[in-house]
Amino acid sequence: MHKLNVVGKRSPMLDALEKATGQARFTDDLSLPGMLFGKILRSPHPHAKILHVDLSGALKVKGVQGAISGKDIPRKKYGIVPMAKDEYALAIDKVRYIGDEVAAVAAASLDAAEEAISKIRVDYEVLPAVFDPLESMKPGAPVIHEEVPNNISASIRKEFGNVEKAFLESDFVFENDFETQAINHAPLEPHAALSTADHSGKVTLWSSTQIPFFLRRNLATTLDIPESKVRVIKPKVGGGFGQKIDLYAKDFCAAFFAMKMKKPVKFVYEREEMFTSTRQRHPFRIRLKTGMKKDGTIHAQQFRAIADGGAYNSTAPLMITLACYFIMLPYRLENLLFEGYHVYTNKPVGGAMRGHGIPQVRFAVEAQLDMISEKMGIDPLEIRLKNAFLAGEPHPAKLLVQSCGFSDTLKKAAEGIGWAEKRGKLPFGRGVGLAGASFPSGVSNMSHISSGAVVKIERDGSITLLTGAADIGQGAETVISQIAAEELGVLLEDIRITAADTEITPLDPGTFGSGVTLRAGNAARMAASEARGKLLEAAAEKMEADIKDLEIRDRRVFSKENPERGMSFQEAVKVYQYSDRPMPIVGTGSYMPPAKEPTTLLKEDGNFSPAYSFMTQAAEVQVDTATGKITVLNMVAAHDCGRAINPMLVEGQLEGSVVGGMGQALYEDVMTEKGQVLNPSFLDYGIPTAMEAPSINSVEVETDDPEGPFGAKESGEGTQLAPAPAIINAIYDAIGVRFNILPVTPEKVLEALQKKE
Amino acid sequence: MKHILKLHVNGEDYEILTEIHKTLLEVLREDLGLTGTKRGCDLGTCGACTVLIDGKPSLSCLTLAAAVRDKKITTIEGLAKDGELHPLQKAFAEKGAIQCGFCTPGMILTSKAFLDENLKPKEEEVKKAISGNLCRCTGYVKIVEAVLSVSEKQ
Amino acid sequence: MRLPQFEYVEPKTLKEASKMLASDKKTVVLAGGTDLLVNMKHRVIEPRRVINLKAIPKLDHITAGKDGLRIGALTTLHDIASSPLIQEQYPAVGQAAGEVGAYAHQAMGTLGGNLCQENRCRFYNQSPFWRGVRSPCYKAGGDLCHVVKKSGKCHSAYCGDMAPALIVLDAQVKVTGPDGERFFPLKKLYNQNGKKPLSLKTGEILKEVFIPPSSGKTLYLKWRLRDSLEFPILSLSLHMETDGKGQVKKARIVFSSVGEGPVEAVSAEKMLKGKLLDERMIEKVSEQAVKEISPMRTSIHSPAYKRKMAAILVRQALEELRNAE
Ligand SMILES: Cc1cc2nc3c(=O)[nH]c(=O)nc-3n(C[C@H](O)[C@H](O)[C@H](O)COP(=O)(O)OP(=O)(O)OC[C@H]3O[C@@H](n4cnc5c(N)ncnc54)[C@H](O)[C@@H]3O)c2cc1C
Ligand code: SF4
Repeated sequence: MHKLNVVGKRSPMLDALEKATGQARFTDDLSLPGMLFGKILRSPHPHAKILHVDLSGALKVKGVQGAISGKDIPRKKYGIVPMAKDEYALAIDKVRYIGDEVAAVAAASLDAAEEAISKIRVDYEVLPAVFDPLESMKPGAPVIHEEVPNNISASIRKEFGNVEKAFLESDFVFENDFETQAINHAPLEPHAALSTADHSGKVTLWSSTQIPFFLRRNLATTLDIPESKVRVIKPKVGGGFGQKIDLYAKDFCAAFFAMKMKKPVKFVYEREEMFTSTRQRHPFRIRLKTGMKKDGTIHAQQFRAIADGGAYNSTAPLMITLACYFIMLPYRLENLLFEGYHVYTNKPVGGAMRGHGIPQVRFAVEAQLDMISEKMGIDPLEIRLKNAFLAGEPHPAKLLVQSCGFSDTLKKAAEGIGWAEKRGKLPFGRGVGLAGASFPSGVSNMSHISSGAVVKIERDGSITLLTGAADIGQGAETVISQIAAEELGVLLEDIRITAADTEITPLDPGTFGSGVTLRAGNAARMAASEARGKLLEAAAEKMEADIKDLEIRDRRVFSKENPERGMSFQEAVKVYQYSDRPMPIVGTGSYMPPAKEPTTLLKEDGNFSPAYSFMTQAAEVQVDTATGKITVLNMVAAHDCGRAINPMLVEGQLEGSVVGGMGQALYEDVMTEKGQVLNPSFLDYGIPTAMEAPSINSVEVETDDPEGPFGAKESGEGTQLAPAPAIINAIYDAIGVRFNILPVTPEKVLEALQKKE
Repeated sequence: MKHILKLHVNGEDYEILTEIHKTLLEVLREDLGLTGTKRGCDLGTCGACTVLIDGKPSLSCLTLAAAVRDKKITTIEGLAKDGELHPLQKAFAEKGAIQCGFCTPGMILTSKAFLDENLKPKEEEVKKAISGNLCRCTGYVKIVEAVLSVSEKQ
Repeated sequence: MRLPQFEYVEPKTLKEASKMLASDKKTVVLAGGTDLLVNMKHRVIEPRRVINLKAIPKLDHITAGKDGLRIGALTTLHDIASSPLIQEQYPAVGQAAGEVGAYAHQAMGTLGGNLCQENRCRFYNQSPFWRGVRSPCYKAGGDLCHVVKKSGKCHSAYCGDMAPALIVLDAQVKVTGPDGERFFPLKKLYNQNGKKPLSLKTGEILKEVFIPPSSGKTLYLKWRLRDSLEFPILSLSLHMETDGKGQVKKARIVFSSVGEGPVEAVSAEKMLKGKLLDERMIEKVSEQAVKEISPMRTSIHSPAYKRKMAAILVRQALEELRNAE
């Protein structure tokens, strides 16, 4: 690859100064004249029939202008996966968890809205509820959705190879149970929506969303109006991590009231609502059986995974499918039998969260791999290296892995943490561990999966870039601009980007599945390339050169053969104009991941993603054996992201992921008692503070993926797959205790140490 | 109940008619349009609403606006002096200490108050100082780096 | 979450404030607000009138005298934690202040507010929506307790950091009431009643804390999951005076978060008196101290765990002070 000028630079995010000065506008920072404020009334029961909702008390509160309940809205179900729609914006016949939406008000002030909510009277018929997924699967359990009598709303049973035979051929068989907990995404910005409607019935919605175009579709469906009547604009979004993928009652209600009352309406969630009534990472119960060959080859695996889905589906079928397929990477595995269930319970709802179903199963695999390596007397690093998948190998599930730096990430992480000197050799209480993982870079060929971009070269030589991609703080706009600037041969500062407005910017699926850089990046590159071609045509004519001999770099068009010959980018634009070519110079790009046996995996095998990232996390921990307190001292995150378009932002992704993963390992747990969240606050729900943050060493492994823009894959989600097992494995190295249930609190450590004595 | 409230924010005097039970956060955002101060939890647990009151970091969601009438209030909008950004603002941007940016205003103001009191802090002291400002994006690494880089230049 | 409506007043003297407070049951005093305003947003306290103490002069000071140290009730925890005087003479007090919440809580929170903060309970420190799942409990104006069903009273816990460190130092408090001032041991401020934890009489306001000169060593140990932001799961302060040859002359052990007020392990203290601090003694004392606390399921941490940790903390504290000899 030729020398890159903009790609590969540690450029600050384009909007960093806006954010540093308070100018950046998030949804709640917006207001419109005459705006009303909304609030939602939520169910205090985990499971109940709604007999009657009396809104009259609310309507009497001074300043209240509207109140609605489920029976006032179109009977249109929504859900992020079309085949799994099971939710109304406001509950219609019954409520299914504590926090389910029952009614909403809009008022001239928040004070009035809050008061009004307390004046709504609801008659419920309380129904028996079920909180444990295993109970919920039993015959006779309370039925949560009538259409799903067994409460199993999504399941997968999938066999690769011949598992029965493979277990017979195995020299050793291991079987263990694992459990993971509910994790809240906890983005710092609470969910918010502001909507306004005009007299033609057109609705505009500003929302803290990570997928504006899907939101447009879901909003149109639930409001029962054409998609063309909905415009979704994404202002700055304060983190999402998957939680801002779904449509929420706040989106619907803001739009519904706006249409009804022809006034702007804003809804903002309380932190408590973020914990009780948005989405969380599914808790999993896992039984994992693994057959090993004497030489350390993983020969067969059998998985039974039960995901506690809470009251609704959200991404259920996709989540459980991802969990299955990503057992098949990053290790070579010929024989797998996977049984996975997404089970309804009367609890907060599971959804996509950074890693989406994979962190849970990865924890099981990576923790068990360490047990196996110990029993078999093989170094955990060796066993991983031995089974590491390689680029270009045929994959039993037909995944097409064109680039793979997994082995390198293993070696680099081990080196970074000091594996050779430390593993098994540190004093009691101190230990190191590692774990590996793989993640898709977006999804191939699912409906709504293409990404578009428009590049305009303006008269002054500056560039306008339109992308539908949704930057939620990860820096997507910066990275996409870097890609466009590189392709055009200009500087990053020449790019002005407008993003994520369904009316102005081209279609994009949004931020999920770690596909943004690859998908929107490729689209931007295509658009830039097309615009560049048009410009070069004019320049070539003027220079009497072959267009193939021309190159643009650093705002200069020149001949590759004779670099002295050339002109500035701006001159080239002039040349273009004065050669009577039509202005403006526009390039467009529509990118869809290549259709080499593409699939959603939901029905058939095939290639799921255009590219796969690989990573290893290594941890060094200190366990205070007197109190059970665990301190993560160092983490090394070695990541094959193909190519770092912006190494500083990649590091940022890795560091944030590591600390989030550490939260999953040690601190975080959405606890419920009879369906009620016990710790819906940052006081009791322990997202790590700066005091807990370990020192983190990020190591980028570049493999230049052939499909990724300038070789780039993903770095957003994959890194959150392995920190927890790496830490758990390090704890074992430190104190010789295995933890198969997350999180590992000091209380559990203490108990285990006492048992051990 | 409404009252006339005089506030001194970012070097300017404001006089507004507002409700007496409003927090400083609400007055800043709703009455003065200073939306740089963020509402992350509204219960004093996340630090996003931190402003400086007489130079000290204060959670504006747990401060009655009426109670700070005679104080000097600094929000993120008032940190730059004569068009020149505060070194912390620059350092946060340059070092990648900002991702989604929602914790940033509070984080920067807390750091400023801290650096004003501690010229040459150790890394552990920086971590402690910003530990009431939660961030879910960065893992804090680059934030600590940014604060230390400014202290080194002091 | 909005605050409820109230009347707001700024008296200029403590006396005036005290009179206002005495005149109406639904009036409260406000200091840093970091405890009160959360409770008001949660609607567990809905005052008709709020008296801001911060406008009253001369309540914010740290003054050293021959007979000890005086700290004004409105002194912020941050000022206490960073006071060289306190760091030198009563380091455990400074340390306790430096471990309350995080930086901003310390910069806002006052000593008086910390000592007078409301008791805590996982059923009480919640929003109206959350509490609406159950019927109201004693502390929220109802007539039952969700923690101990048939006990007939509230078991909420005092969870402040400052009281233990001050009580072991024999701190006294001065309060101003409508009819004058009272001076009494800080320990007596707490009446071990979850529903109404403070012994202040109608209209009384904490004015000053006095710490007598102290010999011996003091320690404050706070236990929590994360090293910032959180209230203690439990904490303890240990004060010990020895004869220089390892024999204990006097010891005091006070816990936070394990009872309806700060809990002093009186029998454990007695056990220590006149004894040599050897391994066996440490073991016996920590066992005894655990018997004297009464944690209930008022937080997300189990009473059993609190007991286990209490024993560990007492042991650590005793060992640390012994080794510091
Ligand atoms: C996220 C978070 C974390 C926290 N962590 C901790 C912690 O770790 N440890 C801890 O101890 N506290 C903690 N707190 C609680 C609180 O911040 C501190 O206790 C603080 O010291 C309270 O002081 P204040 O001045 O803000 O009190 P205020 O909120 O103003 O008052 C508290 C109570 O005391 C009364 N009061 C105040 N001053 C007086 C007086 N002079 N005389 C009589 N009554 C008075 C008030 O009426 C009110 O009922 C935390 C709070 C939050 C929001
Ligand atoms: S201990 Fe009982 S009465 Fe007291 S606050 Fe908790 S639930 Fe309410």
